[in-house]
Amino acid sequence: MSSESIMRFGVRFYIGIFFLYLFTPLIIMGLATFNDSRFPTVSPWRGATLKWFDALAQDGAMWQALWTSIIVAAGVLVVAVPIGICCALFLSTVQGKGKTFIYSLMMSPLLTPGVIVGISTLIFWKGLSVNGGIFLTVIAQTTFISAYVMLMVLARLQRFDRTLENAALSLGATQWQAFRRILLPYLKPAIISAAAIAFLQSFENYNTTLFVKGYDTTLTVYIASKVRTGLTPAVNALGLVMITITILLAVVYEWKRRKEAANETES
Amino acid sequence: MLNQLKARFGSGLAIGIVGMIAIWLIALVVLPQLLMVDYSFRPNLLPADIGGPKDTYSLVNYETLFSNHIHLKIFFKTIWSSVLVTALTLIVSYPIAFYLAKVATPQKAALCLLLLIIPFWINEILRTFSWYIILAYKGPLNAALLGLGLIDRPIRFLSGDGGVLIGMVYAYILFMIFPIYNAIESLDTNQIKAARNLGAGWIRTHWRVIIPHAKPGIATGCIMTFMLAAGSYAVPALLGSPGSRWFTQIIYNWFFEGGNWNQGAAYAFLLLVICIGFIALVMRVFKVGLGDIAR
Amino acid sequence: MDSSVHLDNVVMQFGDFTAIQKSDLKIESGEFFSFLGPSGCGKTTILNMISGFLDPTEGCVKIGGQDMAGVPANKRPTSMIFQNLALFPLMTVAENIEFGLEVRGVSKSERKKASDRLLALVALEGSGHKKVSELSGGQKQRIAIARALAVEPQVLLLDEPLSALDLKLRQHMRTELKEIQRKTGITFIYITHDQGEALTMSDRVAVMSAGRIQQVADPITLYRDPQTAFVASFVGENNAIQGKVERIDSGIAEIHCGELGVLKGRVQSSVAIGEEATLFIRPEHFRLQPEEGMLSVAVEIEEVNFEGAYLTLSTSTTATSKQTLTIQLGAHQYNDDLAKGKALSLSYNVSDAIVIGGDSNA
Repeated sequence: MSSESIMRFGVRFYIGIFFLYLFTPLIIMGLATFNDSRFPTVSPWRGATLKWFDALAQDGAMWQALWTSIIVAAGVLVVAVPIGICCALFLSTVQGKGKTFIYSLMMSPLLTPGVIVGISTLIFWKGLSVNGGIFLTVIAQTTFISAYVMLMVLARLQRFDRTLENAALSLGATQWQAFRRILLPYLKPAIISAAAIAFLQSFENYNTTLFVKGYDTTLTVYIASKVRTGLTPAVNALGLVMITITILLAVVYEWKRRKEAANETES
Repeated sequence: MLNQLKARFGSGLAIGIVGMIAIWLIALVVLPQLLMVDYSFRPNLLPADIGGPKDTYSLVNYETLFSNHIHLKIFFKTIWSSVLVTALTLIVSYPIAFYLAKVATPQKAALCLLLLIIPFWINEILRTFSWYIILAYKGPLNAALLGLGLIDRPIRFLSGDGGVLIGMVYAYILFMIFPIYNAIESLDTNQIKAARNLGAGWIRTHWRVIIPHAKPGIATGCIMTFMLAAGSYAVPALLGSPGSRWFTQIIYNWFFEGGNWNQGAAYAFLLLVICIGFIALVMRVFKVGLGDIAR
Repeated sequence: MDSSVHLDNVVMQFGDFTAIQKSDLKIESGEFFSFLGPSGCGKTTILNMISGFLDPTEGCVKIGGQDMAGVPANKRPTSMIFQNLALFPLMTVAENIEFGLEVRGVSKSERKKASDRLLALVALEGSGHKKVSELSGGQKQRIAIARALAVEPQVLLLDEPLSALDLKLRQHMRTELKEIQRKTGITFIYITHDQGEALTMSDRVAVMSAGRIQQVADPITLYRDPQTAFVASFVGENNAIQGKVERIDSGIAEIHCGELGVLKGRVQSSVAIGEEATLFIRPEHFRLQPEEGMLSVAVEIEEVNFEGAYLTLSTSTTATSKQTLTIQLGAHQYNDDLAKGKALSLSYNVSDAIVIGGDSNA
């Protein structure tokens, strides 16, 4: 065997191990759901059951937490997406002194640990007599999710040909009409992606939410508390349902994104 | 700056844009951080005493950390472990990123990228939880190792920091792979061929051609991974044992069990300082600017 | 309707840099007018001042006699065709053409009528439903024209719109543009660095260099009577020979060109006895056989280039200064004798040579 083929084998082996590492946890989690055991595990295997899905459906607190998560995520979406778009428009338009400083400020929430975003939000709003809860959770998550939206919109905006705006003006459009009819439709795919990511980021967030949630519980916080306290495979059932939904969403999202990209290279 | 925005978007929209940004940056980003710092220098007082003669600035909250040996130990362990997580993640990620960017066929790379993304669409808590199942004393990993005869007795993976490290590498690997992948992908493949053609071995090619080009990506990956690891609450809470607490857990306890927010704010600020220090260090070592990060 | 454009003593400065030196120019109503110059000469800046994307630092732009100061781009009676055409990629062809009417609140049926009429004008009937990406380069070009005409501008501004097309299509579009201008009767202001475009289409051309308008004239005058050394060497090919003015007599200057001796030419501008001047002779004005009243120069062939309809000879004078001269002959004049090293005696009519004061590089 030549050194070249040893190397090729080595690379394949490594890639194989890597993907095994990536997917084993998800598979184990799925399998544990169907194990007829009081604790979430796959060893020993005590036979298959669907009872944990029933247990999950009966769990009123879980449904409450799901509802809270959806409200929070919708709130974040409504606030963070416009802020992110504004930041991207600002960065793509403005030149000159001070821009680097403002850019650093805009990026800073992404480089700050999530717990600190939560803590600083909690402290700031306590001074205004606002305590933890759904509202503060939306505020705290918006702080850093806006920056994600900004980066995603900016990436597309940087490929925008600004003569299109001048063309619209030259044809008599107002600046608002040029924005509304030319720039916004161009940004639409990025905005939709950013909204999807913002929703997901909010839904999954734990570190920040933990500090600002008050007496409200989001689904992620609920799962974490279940893992730490009353652990039954019902958590797995919930996990499996969420994994299935997210994988479906991920595949649809990726598929659409690629179709979009393919359309673009075509034209 | 407002004039440039007005010229492009008209007065109404320009004012709207600046207004939105100002509200976000001032009320959500800057002021809360400043207030947290302010809080950390004040003593923990009863509501009645706030604003009174006892409400003076001092370093007392910071002194607590240095006089509490357990906290101090956890503080340094958190930093050290986060560096370790960052290094491990880098080592695991680099070959994958290189393979995806330069070795795999485009179709294969596209499939691998999709496979890579899927686990990361899934909740961090759930991903960590599945490691809890795998690493449990009576879990499948121990069962497999026993079955293969590699060990005589099950290993307690979850009692030390080992479980936390494995869980963190797993949780943050994508934040390392993607920036490096993007950086290597932008390298002209002919440069690699040229280096090979000139007789450079694989190691030298990586060291002299590919890694220097991938520097901004590596820097971004390291910064993100370190920051996420040092600031992680979920992974140590789920995979750690009482003996392997993380600094974020101490901070949480000050807030919600100790009821001393000022103390918690001081600890949080120290964590932030460490993260900023790490970012500055990485940017210096790799000679990259903020503009290169998070592309 | 008056659709003249008057650049009334305009100056444009960007910080310390003066992009446009003080210029005063009137473009007549219904004229096809071109600004010709190398890139960076300021011609795009002029277009942007007329369209309203830039405000002049001094002076003003008047369209149809109206001062345009304070009138933004979207309120001016102008319409622009961009270098990259700037068709809206997410809209259909018809939506592109109707855009200007849509933003003015014109009803849907009126818009449809207008776009059908314009598609017919540019010979693309029935393409309204197509996507922009489905069009060929030439078709995109025509849609850009139709879109700009839809708003019924008084002045159409064209920013090198043909530069992306291949040679054949470019030549075809020249005739088509000229035809559309004739049909619509509106003022066309065209900028280009391609003298072929400027000379074939325009009624008048302004040649620009380094922010200054060098000369404004119809194409023939520009070619025959360039007023500055820049115009003489930029428009068409030209041989430049430096010398010192010795005598001026009834419009004919005699200049002493070192070892080439004394050469004569028509005085064009700012020539004074005893001063440096440049004599320009176009390659096609040299003759191999001297005729009555011609001046001669002795040269030797360096290189012969056959280019189809004509051939060019690169020659250098036999004097030690080795002044290079390019000669253009009709293809029928080719014979085997014309080879490297052959000595020739070149002649030219004094009226075909012009003398311009100063250094030709200025």
